[in-house]
Amino acid sequence: MRTEYTQTALQIIRSYDGPPVRIMEVCGTHTHEIFRLGIRQILPSQVDVISGPGCPVCVTPVGYIDEAVWLALEKGVTICTFGDLVRVPGSTLSLAGARSRGAHVEIVYSPLDAYDYARQHRDEEIVFLSVGFETTTPPSCLAVRNARRDSVTNFSLLTANKTMPRAYEAMKDSADAFLYPGHVCAVMGTGDCEAMVQQGVSGVVAGFTAKELMTAFAVILKKIQKGEPFFKNCYPRVVTREGSRTAKELMADVMEPCDAEWRGLGCIPQSGLQLRPAYAAWDARKKYGIPLIEGRANPACRCGDILQGKCKPPQCPLFGTVCTPEQPVGACMVSHEGACSAYYTYGGNIR
Amino acid sequence: MNDVITLAHGAGGRQTAELIDRVFKAHFSNPQFTGDDAAVLSIGGADLAFTTDGFIVSPPDFPGGNIGKLSICGTVNDLSCMGARPLYLSCAFVIEEGFPLAKVEEYAASMARTAAEAGVRIVAGDTKVAGRGQVDHLFITTTGIGQRLAGVHTSGTLARPGDVVIVSGDVGRHGCTILLARNQFGIDADVTSDCAPLWGTVEAMLERTKDIHVIRDATRGGVGTVLYEIASQSQVGIHLESTSVPVHPSVRGVCGMLGLEPLYLACEGRLVIVAPECEAPAILDVLHQQPYSQDAAVIGQVTAEQPGRVVLRTEIGAETMLPPPGGELLPRIC
Repeated sequence: MRTEYTQTALQIIRSYDGPPVRIMEVCGTHTHEIFRLGIRQILPSQVDVISGPGCPVCVTPVGYIDEAVWLALEKGVTICTFGDLVRVPGSTLSLAGARSRGAHVEIVYSPLDAYDYARQHRDEEIVFLSVGFETTTPPSCLAVRNARRDSVTNFSLLTANKTMPRAYEAMKDSADAFLYPGHVCAVMGTGDCEAMVQQGVSGVVAGFTAKELMTAFAVILKKIQKGEPFFKNCYPRVVTREGSRTAKELMADVMEPCDAEWRGLGCIPQSGLQLRPAYAAWDARKKYGIPLIEGRANPACRCGDILQGKCKPPQCPLFGTVCTPEQPVGACMVSHEGACSAYYTYGGNIR
Repeated sequence: MNDVITLAHGAGGRQTAELIDRVFKAHFSNPQFTGDDAAVLSIGGADLAFTTDGFIVSPPDFPGGNIGKLSICGTVNDLSCMGARPLYLSCAFVIEEGFPLAKVEEYAASMARTAAEAGVRIVAGDTKVAGRGQVDHLFITTTGIGQRLAGVHTSGTLARPGDVVIVSGDVGRHGCTILLARNQFGIDADVTSDCAPLWGTVEAMLERTKDIHVIRDATRGGVGTVLYEIASQSQVGIHLESTSVPVHPSVRGVCGMLGLEPLYLACEGRLVIVAPECEAPAILDVLHQQPYSQDAAVIGQVTAEQPGRVVLRTEIGAETMLPPPGGELLPRIC
């Protein structure tokens, strides 16, 4: 079912004969779809795709896992989390390891499920591991706001929420054009991406179907040849300039910017979100007095370089031998949206 | 391999194969022990197919069936894939203390109905009751024998370059149904299990042509796992056309939301058929007239290149490797 539209995009991509281009996608779903569709195979050799820091699991620092393990083992709280985080290695233990030592870890699919669990288990202390970008942050905020409304006190968040705009800025020297994340832009609008043009940074907002992704790549390859920084919304059926006002207001009410550590990238000022003082009672760090934990990642792991496009997963000494999806060392191998996991899974004919 | 059994060892993928190879094959090795769905034994001049299957699906009731129906279909289909008419089954129940008698009766009635449809008799059984909490509701094991039709020779080792790959209907329904029946995702979709006894389908096909190289039923690991097994057993490559693979829109939607590959979701009423290309029209013609295979389609071709691999031509025309099966997708789907 190759539509004519996709054919045209395909022709533009295949016939590109301009200068080398580095395109960075910063969305885990894009990473996965680009591999699944085999887009890398049809790109001309001078076009490189870098899987940037777009998977929330992959950018979650080791110290955060250590905090969760500490809460589970030292304070005996029930950890509610997205499943992907369970196998991310901490300094000494993953949550899966903590579970085998008696930690209570519940897998949930939404922060609101964690909140429901807390309401149904009032004799337990529940901490939800609140990771993610502007897409998963609003439901976390909603859960906390509901907890305040309902006076539910056995529920709190361990926040590691992150925002995208500072990451674009931090990564701008690693790429010639960004494939901006469609879901994040659906929430936040396109203002942050448009502002990047002033800094000389190009990019397009991309959707997730074959047609949408092909169009986005084709637009980048067309526009980049003009030598001017550009922005284009290639996902207009979902993304508007303004984004979701409701979600933005919710986030602004419950959370405030803070400095944040990104796994492999270090601290990016004002790139994180934490609960505002009015919600301190639902902030696990304040509630339990978590000590300052400095996480130690495996020094051989090159997840940080991979996220910046400085190397490809197979160039990491651990890739595919010590580090596999079944026994991951680095976070990029844990989540199926991580670059290492995608390389490993789709192996074979990837250049 | 891990030093303890994990759920991945029961998922029907690579870890399951490793467990069978390193432990069971190592101890049970004999000429009749093959990698096929059922063993074929020559006894008194007849070729008898013989197989067994355990069922632990959770939840035991799901749209389109229950553990009782499933327990008959699983074994009937394994026999059918060897080209054998299912004749007799035995069944063993392990039931949890406190489980309602009415439910046991409901499952028994489902088993009887399904057995009647498949033309098979349940002739022996065993009942055990385990203490509360020692099993989850009830587990059923069925064992069956069937008689192979004369002139039929199907096996996972017989795929040849140039053959076509046919799937008898849309893929991934059973796995998707169970996933939704567990209510963990807050997703509602109109999907029912494809669970069905397939002897009628196989018999009709074999009446038209016996020139069929492989018949497999795609269960736990889905169509993808079966294709990798065939590619490995026959030392051939398999090229799939992704846009030809039938997938129900709801299944596709759920897979999109959860990041799952429909080719790796379980089926319980789908055949993967490998046959010479010239037989494809006749086979499809028969399948389209049978009740459980109206969406049958050619999805790919067997090649001499890239033996052991399954290559997918994606909707943009790129060729990617179908990720090899592995890991636990969904525990306790059958």
